[in-house]
Formats: sequence, C-alpha cells, structure tokens
Amino acid sequence: MRIVAAKKLLKANDLLAAENRAKLAAAGVACVNVLGSPGAGKTTLLEALFAAFGPRTRPAVIEGDIAGALDAERIERLGVPVVQINTDGACHLDAGMVAAALGDLDLQAIDLLFIENVGNLVCTAGFDLGEQLRIVVLSTVEGDDKAVKYPAIFQGSDALVITKCDLLGHTNFDPARVAADFRRLAPDGRVFQVGATTGDGIPAMVEWLLAIREDR
Amino acid sequence: MHELAIVEALIEQVDRELHRAGQKGRVVELNLAVGRLSGVHSGSLRFAFELLSPGSVVEGARMNITEPQADCRCRDCGHTEPIDELVAQCPKCGGGNVVIEGGRQLTLDSIELEPNGP
Repeated sequence: MRIVAAKKLLKANDLLAAENRAKLAAAGVACVNVLGSPGAGKTTLLEALFAAFGPRTRPAVIEGDIAGALDAERIERLGVPVVQINTDGACHLDAGMVAAALGDLDLQAIDLLFIENVGNLVCTAGFDLGEQLRIVVLSTVEGDDKAVKYPAIFQGSDALVITKCDLLGHTNFDPARVAADFRRLAPDGRVFQVGATTGDGIPAMVEWLLAIREDR
Repeated sequence: MHELAIVEALIEQVDRELHRAGQKGRVVELNLAVGRLSGVHSGSLRFAFELLSPGSVVEGARMNITEPQADCRCRDCGHTEPIDELVAQCPKCGGGNVVIEGGRQLTLDSIELEPNGP
C-alpha cells in the first residue's frame, strides 16, 4: 500500500526563509520584520507610517498574533492589505507561517511589506522570516536597559525605533544610553526617536524606508 | 546542511502520515525528492537515516531519493537548460540575464507499506 504524502521536509527554518526572501526579491518587494514587546507600539507605529507614506509606496502587512485579529482590523481600516497569522499560542512567527501568508498577498500590487511579529523580545530573535530588514521597536516606558538585557534581538538589527518619546519627560528613560548599547550590538544600525501619536520623528523613518525600497 | 534535523523531521512526518491514514503496517520504502539546489546532500541524508531509523517507525525501510535538476532559463536568448549547480551565465549565449527555476524541493513524496497479510 502506498501513502502519498507530498510533504516538504524543510525543518530548517532558514531554508524556508531563503525561499521567502527570493520570492519577495523577485517581486521587487522590500520586507521589514518588526519586533518588540507587547505594547511597545508596533501597530501604532505602522499606522503612523502609513498615514505619512501617502501615495509614495504600496505597503502591506502580515500581522502575527497569538490570538485574535485586533491589529489586523486596525490596519485594514487604513485600506492597507493585511494578512493575519494566528500562531495558536506560539511565541514567534517562523518562515513557514510567513510563506503561507505570502500566498494570500498579491505581491505585484505591493512594494513594501511589514511583518509585525508576535510581541516578544526573546523568541522572535531566532527565526529568520526572509525579511530584508529587521527593526526593533522599544518604548520609553519599557526602560533603557533592554538592549543590554535582551541582546540577541538587537544584535544585527537594522534599526532601533524608540517609541512614545512624547512621554520622555514622565520617565527616567535615557535615549542616549539605549542608543549607545544598540550601536555596540549593531554598529551599522540606525536609531529613530518617534512619537507615533504626535507624528514626531515619523518623516525621518519614512524617508529611510522609502530609500530602502528604492534599493530593492 | 541540516541532514540530521531533516531526517528527524522526515521520521516525524512519516509517523504523522501513518496516523492520518490509520495505518500500522511496516514501512518498506520511502520516496523522497531532494532537488539539486536544495542544499541538502543525499549521502548525508542516508547516513543520518542509518543513525536515526533504528527503533523508529521507518526501521528497515529503503530510502529512494530522486534528485530533480533545476532549469536555467535565459531571458536574452530564450535558451533553457537543466542544471545541477547554480550558474550565473547562460550556458548557450553567455549572457547574465538568467532565471533559475526549480531544483530546490525537499519533499517526502510517498510511503510504501508492507502489503496486508492474508
């Protein structure tokens, strides 16, 4: 008796990530993996960026969450294509989940894809999704010691985005300290200070992202 | 590359397929496709299989591996040729405007079970 399986054996996440990367490159889509704790302001940052992009880019989002579709609903309200991945309890996205989500996006209709990872500063660091850029979102209310305490996620990231900078006066957060720690872990990384609800710092990030998309 | 991990995944996959099909018979053959550009070495797969299969659901099974080639398609001259290794130039016209397709698969295609007894 024969059982037809026809199943991929790509246990190694990296192989799948490479496939994703090649697929996105072939379609001319720049891809950004957005990491950070729950509540760091990842979705709010995306909302602010989309409002600022205007017609200059055609973005889309893959939303990774343990449960629910609250973030995807927020993105959808902006008219941006979005695919929700529910990890069913898993603490990170992997390249296989992203590969499945890519199948639900019209890559010809977009040029800048954000993958909002599950809120987690630990597990998400270990899984290449096939992105071109990895950025870490850290809010001023989380404390300025996080780069030292969670080095793996900052190491090799392309940018640190310090959010909720409009609250700086109400915290003891020192942006210079975390920026210095980040530069030791990621010498080529950029640091952005933003207040997504006030719009401060958003234009600089927009220009950076658009330039990266142009390089694609 | 990750042959041990891949064989672990293979054994888990066979186990799942047997459960799904409600079969308990002995596995006699596994048919795999390992593309030439998959980055996976068939010899290492066989070696890992020898190490990991004893005591598992695939103990004693034969592993048949096909190694599909990739295609190099030239966007300048239109020539298409099967290749075993990555190339950057068209084998015919020498141009660099080539697309490499296929050859990356790594799949468990089918499982052959011992025929049911009388």
